[in-house]
Amino acid sequence: MADAVIVVALLLVAGSATAAVAVRDPARQALVLSVLGVALAVLFTVLQAPDVGLSQLAVGSALTPLLIMLAVRKVRRCGRTGDETR
Amino acid sequence: MNGWILAATVVLAGGGAAVLWGVTSGPMSRRVVAQNLATSVACPALLLLAQGYDRPAYVDLALLMALLGPIGTLVFARLLAVDLAGDRPRAGRESPACRANDGNFASGPAAWGPTWAAAALGAGVVVAVCVATGPGRAMVKLLVTGALLIGGNVIASRALSGGFEGVRGG
Repeated sequence: MADAVIVVALLLVAGSATAAVAVRDPARQALVLSVLGVALAVLFTVLQAPDVGLSQLAVGSALTPLLIMLAVRKVRRCGRTGDETR
Repeated sequence: MNGWILAATVVLAGGGAAVLWGVTSGPMSRRVVAQNLATSVACPALLLLAQGYDRPAYVDLALLMALLGPIGTLVFARLLAVDLAGDRPRAGRESPACRANDGNFASGPAAWGPTWAAAALGAGVVVAVCVATGPGRAMVKLLVTGALLIGGNVIASRALSGGFEGVRGG
């Protein structure tokens, strides 16, 4: 019974990781990836590793989605200008 | 297992299921709102866990999440502005009168009912943990966390529903 919160956190991580793989559009994948980062941080906290959760929170919830979104935007912009010059 | 951890489990299970359902289906605007909901559900859960494990240091996690969650949502709101504007009904945004009296908020992607529900969850959890903690520096930290959580929630919701006209586009 005491492990119920661990089970819930594990299920959240498994569900969001599966969703991150199943979603195909990169922009939407970044959204699911952000949720996965938050779920992982909660899982680390539940497993009594708050320091790991702290860094996971900083990297997973803001930095990784920001990098992915910037890359997606750059690719889209380059594709658009490439079409115009062609 | 004490009541705090049980409450955290319930919050995580209910909120997590809603977030997973919202972030994997529906239009882009709903997905961004669900991503914002993830932080505003996980932050009260972390506060409850900190109280349940009787480790006040765990409040740092909730503090960082209350700070970084709205930043992440604002990143999405800025970089996905074109997609979000496509989902939004345009009639309310074109006329200055509607913009002035916030008439387009009810029909925007970030409806204000769920926003205030999430804010009420955060406020309730913060008040409960404050009562359990008692006055002192820890209570000030909890109050700062709660203020950041609710303020960030409202700001992110406003940004998603097109409240900040000046920063549109990117």
